[in-house]
Amino acid sequence: MSTSQARKARLAEALASLGPTVERLSRLSQRSYQNPYTAVEWPAEVRPEEEWFGSPEYLSLYGTEFWERLDEAARRRLAFHEAANFYSLNIHGEKGLMQGLAERLYRKDLLDVAGYLHHFLDEENKHSIYFGGFCTRYAKVYRSRQFSFEESRDERPRDVEDFLFFTRTMIFEEIVDHYNLVQSRDSRLHPVARFINHNHHFEESRHLVFGRRLVAALWESCSPSWDGGTVAGVRDHLRQFFTTSWREYYNPDVYADAGLDEPWETAERAWLAPAQREHRRRVSRKVTTFLLSGGILDKEPVDAF
Amino acid sequence: MRSEQEFRDQLRSWIRSKSGEGETAALTDGTALFEERYLRSVHLPELLLLLERLCGEPIDVEELSPRDFRSIDAMVRRYARSGVAS
Ligand SMILES: [Fe+2]
Ligand SMILES: [Fe+2]
Repeated sequence: MSTSQARKARLAEALASLGPTVERLSRLSQRSYQNPYTAVEWPAEVRPEEEWFGSPEYLSLYGTEFWERLDEAARRRLAFHEAANFYSLNIHGEKGLMQGLAERLYRKDLLDVAGYLHHFLDEENKHSIYFGGFCTRYAKVYRSRQFSFEESRDERPRDVEDFLFFTRTMIFEEIVDHYNLVQSRDSRLHPVARFINHNHHFEESRHLVFGRRLVAALWESCSPSWDGGTVAGVRDHLRQFFTTSWREYYNPDVYADAGLDEPWETAERAWLAPAQREHRRRVSRKVTTFLLSGGILDKEPVDAF
Repeated sequence: MRSEQEFRDQLRSWIRSKSGEGETAALTDGTALFEERYLRSVHLPELLLLLERLCGEPIDVEELSPRDFRSIDAMVRRYARSGVAS
């Protein structure tokens, strides 16, 4: 058998082993199929300075020099803009995710998971409707800084590209889910903010199960045929992805809207603040532990912390 | 206000921190950063944030030209002018 045939056979076997999980997740998705247009009662207006829209301990300036200088109303205003930023970064992340899922739908070698990819795609679109619903009604959709051009794109074999796509998805979703879970349980939050976080956490729990199984299966079936340079490239890419993802939580546009001076310097100093570095390490721990224990990463993505 | 030199120095040290040490020995302000694989797509959002901080203005991704990111010289030409006194 040639290397590529052996790899195909291993991938087929790995995907087949996902069968029972994928069937169970698909049944759950069908059972909780949602209509995002009727599931929320949007209040006519919200009061950003009087109510919390995000958990204060999860704000990007918490534990920094800036936090001490903000009074209660300013902290709530920051939480409100930061909630809109959190929803916006989800929208932009889900946009890329939907593209990648759509591209892989009914691909011959992924046929075994096509049924579930339909749910995944459908659910991400609905999540973005919730996030967009909040942002467009009460705040705005913050811009994304993601872009690429021809010379910046990597030419990678398809199995490497698949692995990176699903692993990036997992990292992104695990970080988001940590915020969702904490904020869904925070009784200080406005009911709409709690609902959005709770609903996303509830939905994402299926994607996270799927992601972990698929990433492990792809790694086990594909990486044995990758040479040292490819594996090193994969690891560099994933480590940088942690940084890229986390940087989005420190958005200068938010600081400007919250009335802070020197928004870019604020973002940089908050990023470097010890309390925030520790926060990022802690929130990332579940996914870094998964990646390290499976041998996918050989060291922590320290630049992100 | 940042000087043009400071703009170059900050870009250079950021690029060095992103690529392996050996590879950066030959890095100059004219090096084609993406063609020569010092940087990749996954670095772009962070690079954009750094450029915004250096020039103190938002940069709209919908109005970018890849040419402006080719090298340190290209970035200085395009972005060190607007907000930076040299
Ligand atoms: Fe989602
Ligand atoms: Fe998801």
